[in-house]
Amino acid sequence: MLRAKGIRRLSYVIMALLAASMIVPFWSVLVTAFSTRFDSFQPGIHLWPASWSVEGFRTLFSRVDFGLPFTNTLIVTMTGTALHVALATLGGYVLAQPGLPGRQLIGGIILLTLTIPSQVILVPQFVVFRQLHLLNTLTALVISDAVSAFSVLLMKTYFEQIPKDVLEAARMDGARHARLVWDFYLPMALPGVMTIAAFQVVSRYNMFTEPLLFITDASKITLQIALKSVVQGKDTVSTSDFIGPNAQMAGVVISILPLLIFYPLMQRYLVRGLTIGGVKG
Amino acid sequence: MRSLRTHLVLYLLVAPVLIYFALFVFYPLAQGIWLSFQKAGMMGPQGFVGLVNYRKIFVTGAVWDAAWNTVAIAAGITVFGTVIPIIPAIALAEITPDPLRRALQTTIYTPYLLSWVIIIGVWMNTLSPIGIVNAVLLALHIITEPIIFFASTTWAQPLVVAQTVWKDMGFHALIYYAALMSIDPEMIEAATMDGAKGWHKIRDLILPHLAPVIGVVFMLTLQGSLHTFDSAYLMSNGRTAEKVTTLAVYAYQKGLLQFDLGMASAAGVVLLVLCLLVAVLSRWLLPKGARV
Repeated sequence: MLRAKGIRRLSYVIMALLAASMIVPFWSVLVTAFSTRFDSFQPGIHLWPASWSVEGFRTLFSRVDFGLPFTNTLIVTMTGTALHVALATLGGYVLAQPGLPGRQLIGGIILLTLTIPSQVILVPQFVVFRQLHLLNTLTALVISDAVSAFSVLLMKTYFEQIPKDVLEAARMDGARHARLVWDFYLPMALPGVMTIAAFQVVSRYNMFTEPLLFITDASKITLQIALKSVVQGKDTVSTSDFIGPNAQMAGVVISILPLLIFYPLMQRYLVRGLTIGGVKG
Repeated sequence: MRSLRTHLVLYLLVAPVLIYFALFVFYPLAQGIWLSFQKAGMMGPQGFVGLVNYRKIFVTGAVWDAAWNTVAIAAGITVFGTVIPIIPAIALAEITPDPLRRALQTTIYTPYLLSWVIIIGVWMNTLSPIGIVNAVLLALHIITEPIIFFASTTWAQPLVVAQTVWKDMGFHALIYYAALMSIDPEMIEAATMDGAKGWHKIRDLILPHLAPVIGVVFMLTLQGSLHTFDSAYLMSNGRTAEKVTTLAVYAYQKGLLQFDLGMASAAGVVLLVLCLLVAVLSRWLLPKGARV
C-alpha cells in the first residue's frame, strides 16, 4: 500500500512476531494439556509433549464436574442472547420512528447509561439483585446485560437505512407494527441482529463478574467460575495433592474449544459487523 | 386517533428497555449513592451517617493505594493500547496475498474474544517458573533464576497492562485498519512520485489520516481501563494484591467480602466521579473530530 520495500519487509517481520506471540502461548497450553502429570512439571522449552497423554483431561473430569457449569453457561448464553437481541430490536425500532413525541428524551436516557459502567455499580447491583430475590438464580445472569445502549443504537442505525417511502407504502396498505417489523425492518437489519447476537454469545460465554457476584450456590456456577478454580489450582475435592499443570491446561483447552468452533462460523459478524456498524454508529 | 394509538403501541414496545435501565442501572446507581451516606452492613442500611464513609475513604491508605493502582494501570493500558496497535494495522495493509492477511488478522483478533480466566490461564502457563519464557531467558543467560512473574510485586502491574494490550491488540488494529482502507491511494501515489520515503508517508499521510480514529480508540481505552476489574481480580494473590487492587476490586472486596456496603458504595461513587471527570476532561482536550 505504501510502495516502500523496506516497510513492506518489516511488515512481514512484525506480523510474524505478533502472530507468534499469539500462537506460541496457545501451542504451549496444548503441549502442557496433553503431557503426563510428571512431564508437565518439567521445566524447559517443550514444543511437543514428551509423550502424548490425556491424563490431564482424565484428572480434570474425575476432580471437577464441568458438565453442570457448562450446561448452566449454555442456558444463560442462549436465553440471555435471545433476550438481548429482542430488547435491542424493540428499542432500535422505536427510536427509528421519526414522528414519535419524546423520542429524543428516550434516546437521551438510553445514551446516559453509557456513562455508568457496570463495574462502578457492582456493590449496589448486588444489593438490588438481593432485594429482588434474584441471588443464586440463573435468571440473575440472564437479566444482567439484558440490553445495552450500544446494541439499541446499532439497531436504530440499521433501521434508519430503510427507505421511508417503502415503509409509507406498506403503512398505507394497513400493515401493522408486527408486519412491518417482520417484513421490512428485520430483513434489512439482519446483519445488525447477527452482530449483536454473535457478540452476546461471546460475552455471555465469558461472563465472569456477574456469576462471581450473584452466585454462591455450587449447583448454579458457570463455566468461567469453574475454570477459575481449576486454573488457580484451588481444588474443591481434595487438599492432599493439588491439580497438576496438565489438568489445569486441559481445563483451558476445553473452555476455548466451543469458542473456536463458534468463531469461524460467525467471523463475518464478529469482524466486519463491528467495523461497519460499531465505529459509524 | 390512529396516530395516538400507534404512539401508545410504540411506547409500550420501548417500555421493557426503559424498565430494564431504570431497574438495573439507574436504581442501583441511586442505591449506591444513598448507601454511601449510610452505615450499612449485610443486613442493610442502619442509619444516616453523613460523610463518614467518605471521610473514612480519604484517610484509609488502602483506598489511596487502590486509586493509585487504578490510575497507573489505566495510564499504561491507555497509552500502549492506543499506540501499539497502529503498527500491526499499517503492517496488515502491506501484506499480500489476501488469504495470508486475513489469517494474520484472525490470529491477532482471537484473544479479544477469550475470557479473562482463559487469558490469565494461558499466560500463567507461558510465564510460569517452568514455562517457555523462563526457559528461553535461562538458555540465553539473561537470567540465572526463573522469574516468578505471577507472584511478583514488580511484575504485577506491567502484566495486567501487557495482557490487556495483548488481548485488545487485534480489535484496535482492526479499527485502525478499517480507517486506513479509506485513505485515497492517489495521495500515496503522488507522494511516491515526489520521491517520499516510506517513513515520511507514514508520518505525513497515514498518521494524520488516522488521527481522529486514534482519538476514538484513546477514549474507549481510557474509559474501559479505569474500571479494570476481571484482570486485576484474577491477577490478585497474596503477593500481588497491593499492586493490582484497583478501585473496582477494592469496592468488591469491601462490600461483598467484608460486608461494609456503606464504604464500598462510597468507593464506587469515587470511581464513578473519576470516570465522569476523565470523560469530561478528555472530551474537552481532544480535537472535535475525535469525540465519541
